[in-house]
Amino acid sequence: MAPARVIQGQLTHLSRTTHGIAYDATDDEIIAPNPLAAAVVIFRGGATGEEAPIRTIQGVRTGLSRPETVAVDEKNDEIIVGDPGDRRVLVYRGNADRDAAPIRTIQGPKTKLLQIVGVAVDPNRDLLVVSSYSRLPGGITGIFIFGRTDQGDVAPRRVIAGPKTGIARLRQIALDPATGKIFAAAINNEYLPPYDVDKPRAGLDPNVDLPSPWNTGPEGFIGVWDVENDDGDVPPRSIIKGRSTGLVHPAGVTFNAKDGEVIAPDAIWNGLFTFLKPELFNPAVPRIP
Amino acid sequence: MRRISLLSVAAGVLLLFGTGRSAPEASAPDPAVAAAFADSTMAGALAGSPARQPRWGALAEDCYADAVALAALQGAPLGGVAAGDWPPGAIGGLIPPIRSVSDPFPTFDGMAVDSENDRVIFSDENRHSMLVYDRAAGSFSNDPTEPVQWVVGPKTRLGYIAGVEVDPKRKEFYTVNNDSGDLLTVFGYGDHGNVEPKRTLVTPHQSWDVSLAATRDEIAISVQQSNAISIYRRAATGRAAPLRTIRGLATELEDPHGVYFDETHDEIITANHGNWTQIRPYTAYDQRATDVGEYKSGAFHPSSITFHAADANGNVPPLRAIEGEATGLNWPMGIDVDLQHDEIAVANYGDNSIRFFRRGGRGGQQPLRVIRGAATEIVGPVSVAIDVKNDELWVANYGAHTAVVFARAANGNVKPKRIVRNAPAHAPTCGFTNASAAAYDSKRDAILVPN
Repeated sequence: MAPARVIQGQLTHLSRTTHGIAYDATDDEIIAPNPLAAAVVIFRGGATGEEAPIRTIQGVRTGLSRPETVAVDEKNDEIIVGDPGDRRVLVYRGNADRDAAPIRTIQGPKTKLLQIVGVAVDPNRDLLVVSSYSRLPGGITGIFIFGRTDQGDVAPRRVIAGPKTGIARLRQIALDPATGKIFAAAINNEYLPPYDVDKPRAGLDPNVDLPSPWNTGPEGFIGVWDVENDDGDVPPRSIIKGRSTGLVHPAGVTFNAKDGEVIAPDAIWNGLFTFLKPELFNPAVPRIP
Repeated sequence: MRRISLLSVAAGVLLLFGTGRSAPEASAPDPAVAAAFADSTMAGALAGSPARQPRWGALAEDCYADAVALAALQGAPLGGVAAGDWPPGAIGGLIPPIRSVSDPFPTFDGMAVDSENDRVIFSDENRHSMLVYDRAAGSFSNDPTEPVQWVVGPKTRLGYIAGVEVDPKRKEFYTVNNDSGDLLTVFGYGDHGNVEPKRTLVTPHQSWDVSLAATRDEIAISVQQSNAISIYRRAATGRAAPLRTIRGLATELEDPHGVYFDETHDEIITANHGNWTQIRPYTAYDQRATDVGEYKSGAFHPSSITFHAADANGNVPPLRAIEGEATGLNWPMGIDVDLQHDEIAVANYGDNSIRFFRRGGRGGQQPLRVIRGAATEIVGPVSVAIDVKNDELWVANYGAHTAVVFARAANGNVKPKRIVRNAPAHAPTCGFTNASAAAYDSKRDAILVPN
């Protein structure tokens, strides 16, 4: 299947590495991070071809280093950016442009955040959700729940992490404010120590079988948790997993609540899969036990 | 077949796909395409069952057998989930997707031409394989072109591979993993199917291209996110450290892609996209607080071609650069150098063109020639190769399932001499290069996918 529209080219200020995206239905805008230029670019919703963004957040005051993931709070008109380069979450006004300073920042050792890979916001419950990954001793890989307006070096209110969660490594997350459900792409493939040109992959067994699409390791899944009621080492309330689903290492997740669909790209198949799960989007249905 | 509207940032591209809901009958595959897919080796390997009438029967069976063995080792039954792997109390099920978007065919990415041994080698980023064709292959047939070698399968360790290089004397070809694997892999002309590489080298994450300096016995590798060029011994393996690394603000390396090691002039030539940021340690293995000095904001610079001394090391400026509006450079990808005619060819992804510059040029020079236009069938060019011996120019398209061949000095909106296909004619491409996130556009009922 060919895409109906493509946004590409020098003028777009996109890069060949983009691990996040968000859509603002209120303003009809597309928001994407450019980690290789420390920028966040905002396009009009109908953008196509080599079309320049309508706004670009970049500059010394922005504090951006390697923005990886974005979310939009349409109710409060804010853009949320997860930046693992400085281990922080930055919040900008929705119309931020150029060298705009963030209005709030969550950063510091109390946050327990390290490689931030997903952000989502619940404006109904005033909560901010962050997925973060750590391979440091004592580090936490999980879903961190903060107050929406928290800032500074603050501890998360709750952290969903532990062996029962099934999470080994996370990527994008999404949140449905109508139901309070967190959708998480638990990609779960292995990640390598960084490359230091003086000591390439120090500590790595020279004979180790490096991960590849053919050597995938434990399967990933899409897991669903409750933003208000889940805490600690708890399993997901719903799960999309298994080879029948087509998912091996889901790299992202979004949803179409109106039609009850959960949508996930997969890093192994290099494709996109849509699942029908209407039971997850009905606020009238008692919450999944 | 109705085109799905997917907004995907493939290699910095945002692609929009519709959800396909409104015309269910339109999501049925083109019968010709489906038949060709069913007949292909990859179909059999990926579907977990032997392909029907595979063109390369032994290859298909070998790949399938390895996939079964791998699944058994991982303890996951084919098609299902192991009992111990299902969270207690979780609802859900073994639900198949109601819709899926992926490209079953290879897509050409990197490319190298070996005019000594009459071979052309491609990396296939989509299905993680390498395809080798006879140099004279190609025609105007609508059928896929038959490769003479197809390296594919679990043993190959091929991930989201990019640049390709060939060593005609040793009859070896290389590729680098741009994502998923962080490895340079080397294969030989005798390799076919599910084979181990002859050797591998651990490379920095987001390595993109590789170029061989045969006399110096060195290879240069471009590294996107580090804004660097790392030079290794040609036969380096394992965790061998680079001999030199060109890296730093003064180098003007900014999101480097194509690289060419010009031994004749003692230069390393690099195509840059112009994205720049101060790379800070950001991974799950890096300590929380890192001191990288004064904070520098990111920047957008124009695309450029930079020239560094072959022995450059560290934070050294380029000898010169080709840069500026007059050049028309727009996401330049692969490059190649014609030493006989003193020209550089650039696969200019952003405007679907091939641009030629004087090798010794600098600044905002106009290109000598530009191949561009609908007749050229250049769509999303990622690699270019100049075959001086046969007076031909090759272009690998990521935006179409083709490579196109021109006369070496072609110019303007000209038809190719012949076409090499990795899929039936008109088979669409998704444009994905490791689809890594998604968002739903409720206004247009579309899915946005960055790559």
